[in-house]
Order: sequence, then C-alpha cells, then structure tokens
Amino acid sequence: MTKTAELLPGTLDMLILKAVSLKPLHGYGVLVRIRQISGDALEIPQGSLYPALYRLEHHDLIAAEWGQSENNRRAKYYTLTAAGRRRLRDETAGWNRLANAIAAALNTTSEEV
Amino acid sequence: MFKRLRSFFRVLARRREFEEGMSEELRFHIEQYTDELMRTGMSPEKASRLAQQELGSLTNVKGDCREAFGVHLFDEFRRELRYAARLLRKTPGFTATALLTLAVCLGANLTIFAVIDSVLLRPLPFPEPGRLVTIFNTYPKAGVDRDGSSLTNYYERRGHLPAFPSLSIYSYGTEIIGEPGSTERQPTMRISPDFFSTLGLGPAIGRTFTDEETTSDTDHVAILSDTFWRQQFNADPNVLGKQIRVNSVPRTVIGVLPPAFRFLSSDARVFLPLASRPEDRTPRDRHSGGNVIQMIARIRPGATLEQAQSQLDAQNAALEVDDPQAKMIADAGFRSLIVPLHADHVAAIRPTLLLLEAGVLVLLLIGTVNLVNLLLIRANARVKELAVRQALGAGRGYIVRETLVETTLLTLAGGILGLAVGAGGIHLLRVLGADRLPLGSRIAFDARLALAGLVAAIVLGIVLAVPIAWFNLRRHLGNALQSESRGETSGRAGQILRHGFIVSQIALAFVLLAGAGLLALSLQRVMTVSPGFQSDHVLTGQILLPWANYPPEARLKFVESLLDKTSRKPGVQSAGVVDNVPFSGKTGKSAATVRGYIVRPGESVRGNYSYGVSGDYFRAMGFSLRAGRFLTAADSLRSERVCVVDEDFARHYWPNGSAIGQQLWNGSEAGKDVDAFTIVGVVGGVKQAGLTEDAAQGAVYYPYAFRIGDSFFVAARTSLPPESFALALQKTVRQIDPNIPVSDLQSMDTRITDSLVARRSPALLSGFFSGIALLLTAIGTYGVLSYAVAQRRREIGVRMALGAQPRQIRLQFLSLSLRLLTAGTLLGLLGAWQAGRAMNTVLFHVQPLNLPILASAACVMGVVCFAACLLPSQRAARVSPMEALTEQ
Repeated sequence: MTKTAELLPGTLDMLILKAVSLKPLHGYGVLVRIRQISGDALEIPQGSLYPALYRLEHHDLIAAEWGQSENNRRAKYYTLTAAGRRRLRDETAGWNRLANAIAAALNTTSEEV
Repeated sequence: MFKRLRSFFRVLARRREFEEGMSEELRFHIEQYTDELMRTGMSPEKASRLAQQELGSLTNVKGDCREAFGVHLFDEFRRELRYAARLLRKTPGFTATALLTLAVCLGANLTIFAVIDSVLLRPLPFPEPGRLVTIFNTYPKAGVDRDGSSLTNYYERRGHLPAFPSLSIYSYGTEIIGEPGSTERQPTMRISPDFFSTLGLGPAIGRTFTDEETTSDTDHVAILSDTFWRQQFNADPNVLGKQIRVNSVPRTVIGVLPPAFRFLSSDARVFLPLASRPEDRTPRDRHSGGNVIQMIARIRPGATLEQAQSQLDAQNAALEVDDPQAKMIADAGFRSLIVPLHADHVAAIRPTLLLLEAGVLVLLLIGTVNLVNLLLIRANARVKELAVRQALGAGRGYIVRETLVETTLLTLAGGILGLAVGAGGIHLLRVLGADRLPLGSRIAFDARLALAGLVAAIVLGIVLAVPIAWFNLRRHLGNALQSESRGETSGRAGQILRHGFIVSQIALAFVLLAGAGLLALSLQRVMTVSPGFQSDHVLTGQILLPWANYPPEARLKFVESLLDKTSRKPGVQSAGVVDNVPFSGKTGKSAATVRGYIVRPGESVRGNYSYGVSGDYFRAMGFSLRAGRFLTAADSLRSERVCVVDEDFARHYWPNGSAIGQQLWNGSEAGKDVDAFTIVGVVGGVKQAGLTEDAAQGAVYYPYAFRIGDSFFVAARTSLPPESFALALQKTVRQIDPNIPVSDLQSMDTRITDSLVARRSPALLSGFFSGIALLLTAIGTYGVLSYAVAQRRREIGVRMALGAQPRQIRLQFLSLSLRLLTAGTLLGLLGAWQAGRAMNTVLFHVQPLNLPILASAACVMGVVCFAACLLPSQRAARVSPMEALTEQ
C-alpha cells in the first residue's frame, strides 16, 4: 500500500473542482478520481466530501444534474460552472505560488543566507 | 448574494425533494463503495459495514450537507417561529394589546403616508416631470400675489427663451356639451397647441391642435379625454372627424387622450384650443392675466431654474422699456416667477400634510415605546428561563435571533391588521373630502402602499428587538439563577428604563394633545369669523350661457327674465345675479382707477375684487349697507354709469371723506369722462376667497351689463331651507331655455363649510390621533405600574405585616405615578412649545403658546394617568400579608 498524505485544510474544494473540471462526475466518482489523479497519494475523508459538494453547489461553483451511472443507476452528476472554472484557475495559481515559495524556502542552504 | 438567496428560496420550495435527493445520493455512494470493496474480495457484509463506517454517521453527514446548502437556517427559523407563536399564544392579553397598538399605529401611519405619497412624493405622470414648471405674474405691492399669465406673455415668450424648449398656456373651464335636449355641463380645458408637447404626453388617437386653430373663428375642433370617449362614443375607434356640440356649436373631434392622461387635479373631459383674436395679444394686454390663463413650460435639460428665471427677467425688462404702463407695473413690484409645477400645485396643502405626518409619527413613537415597555416586562418575567437556557448552551446569537423572530412576528401580524386599518383610514379620508385636495384623487390603497406597510412592520420588529435583546443579554447568568422567582433583581437599570419610557410617552402624548388643541381652537376661531354677509338661507347656482345663442343683449334678457321668474316663486324673498359669488373657489383681482386720486411715490396701484351684479343681489346675500344705496336691476339699463364699493375700498381712497358721488374707471388707467362710474353706495366688506382672508382687499360692484362674462351665479334668499329650492330653480331655468343646466347648486353655508375642509380634517384627525395616544399612554402606565406592584408584592406583604396601612401603600404608588406624570408633562410642555412654533403657519389667530390649551392638555393627561394608576395602586393596598409571604 502506498503512503497517503493528510489533506491540508482548504484544499478539498480545490481538488473537487479539479476533478469535475475533467469530466462530469457523481460524488463517488469524485472520490475515485481524486485518488487516481493524485496517484493514490491523497485520501479524502468520505464524511467531508458531500458537505463540500453541497457547499460548492450552493455557491454556484459546480452544478448538479441527475443522470445514469455506468451500471445504469440514477446518480447525481456534478459539472464545473463558469464561476467554478474561474475559481479553480485562481486557486491553482495561488497554490502554485505558495508551493513554490515554501519549496524555495525549505531548499535554502546556509550559503545563500 | 442574490443568487444564493434564490437557491435558498428554491430549497424552501422543494424541501422534501432536497432531502430525498440527498438520501439517494448517499445511498448510491455506499453501494458503489461496497461494490468496489467486494471486488477486492471482501465479503458483502464486511464491505457494506466498512463502507458505512468510512462515510461516518449518516445523520451527521446530512446535517453538514444541509448546513453547507443553507437549509439549516430555514429549519431553525421555522422552529423559532413556532416557539415565538407559542409564547404569544400563552399571553393573550399582552398579544392582543400589542397587536391592537400596532394595527392602529401602523394603520394611521399608512393612511397619512398614502396622502403624503400621492400628493407630495409621487411624481406627476409625465416624462421627466421634474423639468415641468409653471410661470405666473405677481404684483405683490398691489396686493396681487398671483395673476396667471396673459396671452401676450405667451406669444412674446414662445420660442424666444432658450431655457424653455416648450412653453404653453391653458385655462380651466366648464362648457355645455351635448345635443339639444341632452346637454350636460362638463369640466374642460382650453389649451395652446404645444400644451401636450410641453407635458410630453399627447393624444393616443389623432393629433393635437395646430396654430391655425387658435383664432376665435377657426377653433371648431376638440380633443376628448379617454373617459369621455368611452362614455359618449363607446370607445369608437373611428371617432376622429365626428362632431360634438360644445356650447351648442359643433366641433370636430381630432384626437383622444390616453387613459393615463391627467393634468394635475383637473377632471377635464374635453380639450379645446385656447383661441383668441390677434388684438388680444398686443403689448397693451400684457398685464391683463387676471389669473385665468396659466402658463407651464419645460426647462431644457441641463438648464437650471435660476438660468431660466434670469432669461425671463431679462426679457421682461427689455419689453417694459417701451411700455406706457412701465412705471405703474414696476411700482406694483411686478415679476414673473418660475416655480416647479408639482411643488407649486401642492404648496398650499404641504405644511398641513407635513404636520399630520409629524403627528402620526409621534403616535407611532408612542406606540413603539409602549410595546418596548410591555416587551421589557415580559422579558423580565422570563429572565430565569432564559438564564437556564443560556446555561445549557444557548448562544448569544441564538438569543438575539429568537428575540428578533418574536418581535418581527408580532409586528408583522400587527402590520397585516394595520393594512386593514389603513384601508379603512383611506376610506375615511375620502369621506372627509381628501379627493378634493390637490392630486387627492390619486390617494388609493394599492400594492405599493401595502408593501410599504409590511416593510415598515418588519423594520419596526427589528427596532423593537434591539432593546429587548440587549436586556436579555445584559444580565449575568449567575445572578438571575440565584435570584428568587419573583425577580427582585430586575435591577435599577430596568426600572429606570421603564420609567423613562413612561415619561417620554406622557410627554409625546401631551405634545399631540396640545397640537390637536391648537388646531381645534384655530378651526373654532375661523368658524366664528363672519363672512360679512348672512350666509344662511341662500341658494346659489352657476349658469353658463353659450355665446353662440346668447349675444350680450340676449344675456341681459335671460338674466332679467330669470330674476323676474325666480323672485315671484313662493318662498323666495329676494334674488340676484353676480358674475362670481364669494367662496366659489375662483378668485381674480383687477384694478380700478379713482378720479383725482394721486398715487403717492412708491405706492402701487391696488388690485381689488370686481363684480358685476344685477337684481337684488345685495339683499339676497344679506350684505349690509353702510351709505347710499344698493345697485338694482335698473342700473344695468340706465345710461349713466353707477357702482357700489365696499367699506375697505372707501376707507383706502377716502379715509376722511365720503365715497358717495366719487368717480372711478374700471381698469388701471383713467378713461374718458363718459366711461367713469359714479359711486352710489358703500356696502360692508365680505370675505371673498375664504374666512381666513386677512387683509382688506376692497371690492367694486358694477351693474351686470358692464361685466358680462361666460357664466354667472344666481343667488336666492329663501324662507325655507335653501336646498329645498334647488329643483324649483332648475325648473325655472329650463322654462326659459331647456338646454341650459344649473350647476354647482349649493347653499352659501355649504360653500363656507367646504372652504374649511383643509382645516377641519387636520383638526379632526389630530384629535383622533391624540385620543389614541392617550389610550396608549394609559395602557403603558397601567402596565408598568401593575408590574411594579406585582414585583413588590412580597415587600408590600412584609411592610403590611409590620403595620403599614393600606392607605400608605396606595399613596406610595400614586406618588410614583404623580412623579412620572409631572416629569412627562414638563417635558411635554417643552415639546408642545416647539411644536406650536412649527405649526405657526397653519394656525389662525392662535398663539403657539396658548395657556388654556396647555392647561387643559395637562388636566386631561393627569386624569388619564391617574385613572390608569388607580387600579394597580388599589391592588397594592389590598395585598394580603399572609398570601404574599407564603406564596412559593
């Protein structure tokens, strides 16, 4: 089994937006997709997934629609809205800036100070 | 924000759907996960258990989801609403009092607001109404504040003042309309061709008048109002080109106005060109407005009133250069004023309406204070319950929200009742004659008003919640829990607050009471003013004779025959005609030039009322004769010209001598000797426009033959009640000419009473408001005192057990109420003084600080408060020591 990392606070929303930006997904699909695109490195606490989805839907960042699942069951599919796409872009940029800064800080050697 | 609100409401509407969807989604999740786990070789039971474990408690997840979606707020709100409703049901006495207070206060406010909104606030129904102005000539030093505009003004100004892209004139009138045999008098307007373009709203069908249609022999066209078109032509779309008879002359219909068209308060059914002859438009007639023709204009966008005014002043100055009357006009203080149309139209009624609005707001304030007091008492009774709940973890936000829900529920329910009261109030106003106010016909109970009422109710709920929530949060938990159930710890702060509210309530009610007293006294003073004639037993009616069938000689014949027939009717003591009866609502002044009178430098020519009379007019109206003789019917036929003046006129021109035998000319210039009128009598002065008319204006009465106009009034003094003679008078007129109706048939007493409507209604309403204010104050005082007694039962019991007499206990509470009353009254005196000063413009011969009024207000206030305190004090005195001490 691979080692899974704890999710940083505030990153769940970003990951959900990313997951549904690729393809409309139902709730369980979001879970599977995040696991897959993170190379099984991130484990989502299942209890917080649905409140997060509902919050994003309430804020009009994602839209929900009932459809058929792969095994012909009724399932609620989430897609990214225009506002969600903007949010994802902003958050990705912000995250990258932050990650780079932290990485740069952590990689500093004593000569550079 | 808006979107979120919408999703919130969407959820409200589909609450169940939301729950079902959520359950299905979570179930689907568990099944999918179970399937996946089973594929890794797990047993179905174990897989299902693990899947459920991973998700966590379904209840928690669902709760989180609801919260994330904003649904939980709705659920909590519903719970709080139920709780508040239950609490209110538990105290029916309080709830009923509060609802009634709210209903009356909000209803009264809604009623007055409806009037303010219709008359003062809502813009006129034309595009960009803010740019519409009226222009009128004023000669203040001649005693003529308003003289309308003249035809000359119109033709000289039209197109010559850059600030006014559009300028037009109009006059109100009534005409006889219809085919012979079915004629009716209808209100009409005569307008210049650009009238509709100035307003920005013209005929819906057809066209407006052209310049060619404004001369006296080419004006046989008419534009109909929507109402007239529907009633008389059954909304015929092919009405254009059809004929209607106006004053028995056929006119071609060229247009129909849209249904929404209404010019100010006019009820005109038919619009005719304001036609004139070119010789009426010469500089000589520049100042002959006489308040008949009015001018309106639209100001160019971007131009200011000041710019327009200075352009107009400059033009007036340039025109006066070659005016032979220039000096006299300048001496009269002549100026043409530009005033916004809406403001000008409602200027007279504005102070009264604002006064009523202030009164009704004070009433609302009293009601609010009352409610706060009652709510505080209630909150105090629930101190312990709240403390327990706070101790069990109810957050501050929760307490505030609960208070808010409770007060808003209360005010909203009261507001809905208030809507009903408001609708009733508006009906009552209509009975009192509110539709006769300027723009008064717009007063109606509509959705806009209902919305305003409900919004006001919600705002009031929030306002009420503030002190109550503060009170609920302020107390220390420990204290409240330790204190005994009777709540002795209610504390000084709460008591001071309650007493402060009572004092302010008494003060506010006192102000209202004193204000109402001032208005009532004013009204009474006005009513005791003598109009100068005997108004009882006089019937008057207006008769309009079309010029086409009635050239001047025929008019005189008609008048002669009418007077002859009328005065021979049984019950008629005397009858006469006049071109305009006092209190008819129409006034205009003109000038008279007295032979040999030299106008002193700086003094201006005086405007005075001018009348043409025939028959026994003076006797019919009950004028008093001061010197000489009255005019008679014969004076119209004689070749020598005679006239009668009133004592004001005589006193002004001949302060020391007699006016009899002196001569004057009708007009602002001395004329030929043969045109001079010799004064043969002096009569007492009469009020012309209204009883409150203060300055002596002077009046000249000419024989009717010299002042023949479109219409005249007939006045008959009867021995029976005058109204009973109305039918007989109409019949007499129809005998002479079946196509001539008599309109505006009213006794002089009714005319005088009607002229007081702008005073009577406010006095009545303010009396009504102060009655309610007194009642509210009584309820408030009673409530607070009862509470004080109940709270101190134990203390009273102990004191009685130790030998205190019931009388002492009673005195203690009565003296408390006396202190509150004194403080309230003193504050109220201050307020009443200020209010009186603000009311000065609407008072008549009453000083703002009127001692008898203030004293009576204080007396009434005292009696009411004393009565309200009597019962609680009595109850205090009857406390049984045994019961009080053994309770609980």
